[in-house]
Amino acid sequence: MDAPLQDFAVDLGFLRLLHLADSALPIGALAHSFGLESLVAEGLLGTCDLPEFFAGFLEEAGMNDAVFCREGWRVAAINCAAQFERAMGGAGYTISPLARHWVAVNDRLSALKPARESRTGSASLGRNFLNAVMALRQFAVVNEALQASKEAGSLVHHATAFGLAGAVLGFEEDHTVLAYLHQSMASLVSACQRLLPLGQTAATKILWDLKPAILETAKRSQTYGVDDACCFTPLVDWAAMEHPALRTRLFIS
Amino acid sequence: MGTLAGVAKCARETRQAQALADREESWLRLDFERDSAGGRTVLASSHQEPPLKVVRAFTLEDGAALVHLHNVSGGVLGGDRLGLAVRVGPGACAQVTTTGATRIYRPRDGAGTALQANEVTIGENGLLEYLPDPLIPFAGARFTQRTSIRLAQGAGVFWWEMVMPGREARGEIFEYASLELRTDLLAMGRPIAMERVRLEPRNRSLRLLARLGAFRTWASFYICRVGVRAGVWLELERDLREILGGLSRNAETLWGISALVEHGLVARCVAKRGRDVLPGLQAIWSAAKQRLFGRVAVPPRKVN
Repeated sequence: MDAPLQDFAVDLGFLRLLHLADSALPIGALAHSFGLESLVAEGLLGTCDLPEFFAGFLEEAGMNDAVFCREGWRVAAINCAAQFERAMGGAGYTISPLARHWVAVNDRLSALKPARESRTGSASLGRNFLNAVMALRQFAVVNEALQASKEAGSLVHHATAFGLAGAVLGFEEDHTVLAYLHQSMASLVSACQRLLPLGQTAATKILWDLKPAILETAKRSQTYGVDDACCFTPLVDWAAMEHPALRTRLFIS
Repeated sequence: MGTLAGVAKCARETRQAQALADREESWLRLDFERDSAGGRTVLASSHQEPPLKVVRAFTLEDGAALVHLHNVSGGVLGGDRLGLAVRVGPGACAQVTTTGATRIYRPRDGAGTALQANEVTIGENGLLEYLPDPLIPFAGARFTQRTSIRLAQGAGVFWWEMVMPGREARGEIFEYASLELRTDLLAMGRPIAMERVRLEPRNRSLRLLARLGAFRTWASFYICRVGVRAGVWLELERDLREILGGLSRNAETLWGISALVEHGLVARCVAKRGRDVLPGLQAIWSAAKQRLFGRVAVPPRKVN
């Protein structure tokens, strides 16, 4: 028997995390396939390939995004602590580190995304996500991050934005990363439902069976920093690069 | 007798292992400058520590300087710590190529991972064309390459790399132990492209669809010129995609091209046969150089 609900703040946080990780959150995630549409169009990806494809995708692109989601979380966590220290009149803190750190992390992730449409897709979701969070409540850290990105001409990626918001809202780092990876994979599986003969039941099973791999990816991402996170997905990169050339397109990327 | 031979053998192996572990860094430093009198580019200075060497610079028709990189060891040995530092001065144009494929040998017992560092700096309005032969990691090879390319205002670079699955003719496919490639391109200090690849085919299959699928060879080609506006890159992306469309053959060779976050493009290729990649690289290079620099791409003589 599970323990009854006891801690209002913890339980409320859990519900909020579920909400933000819901694929129905109106940030435009359903409009992107991040290259899957081209793979399907070229006959390289079929329904029976999906479980193995997503497992490999998690090991590479999922891992990379998980590392950057963590870094986004840490940008906010460090800054929240500094703001608290400043509010309490603490010494030793003079300049907010957020702007420089935040812009540098997002610039690095932009540089790691070779395909233009996937990069701008990630940036579109990231900005929309933070704007959605700001519409729920005004957060100084989120506002500062958005402002810093705008002034630097830097993109805001979905993974880093999710991490940043997770920290600001008080979610644990690991839970934030897990939720990000889960919604990311759910969104790609959903894209496959529109691209392939993949029914609801089969799609549900694919996502259900991916959960151990999502946990493993989140765990592995604990040991990497943004400088040594690797990603080798040349076929997916090719597909994302070729997406603008498709004659008929269901997705933006 | 047998015991003494065994001790001697053990001592010899220990010394060999220590020598391999202690191997010093060997750098080849090349410094290209524009000759203000003649307008040509000259190899103003070079510092050469074997095994990497260049013999001399050749002047190309457009005044650029061409050098061929030689590895006098014949390939990269386990425990090697190689460095290539290239500085292209303001307004200078250099072309660097290799004399053959870079072979990454299987290390002897006790030898560490072979390391190669490439440090490239290109000054204002300078241009570097780095057009090497493919990299071939042999069975059991362990190799890490770190490349940093720093571009000043107006600087340009054509930088391609092609990685083979191994010695295909021997049926040696993805039998290397580890291959790590880290590439950073920075324009005026800001990252515009980064690659982080860490492959251990024995532990994580490269044949997964999320990686190479049925393909074996892959290549990346970076084309940059700092300061060129975003619209030009989008037009060039579209034009090059048309050229590459004629070279892509489904199930055999696939080419993709995309604008970087700014100041450049990257092309990616996956192929079943390595020999199908070079024509595409040359076609991109030729079209992009004409468009960005108004000059003809002059292939190194060995490529002709």
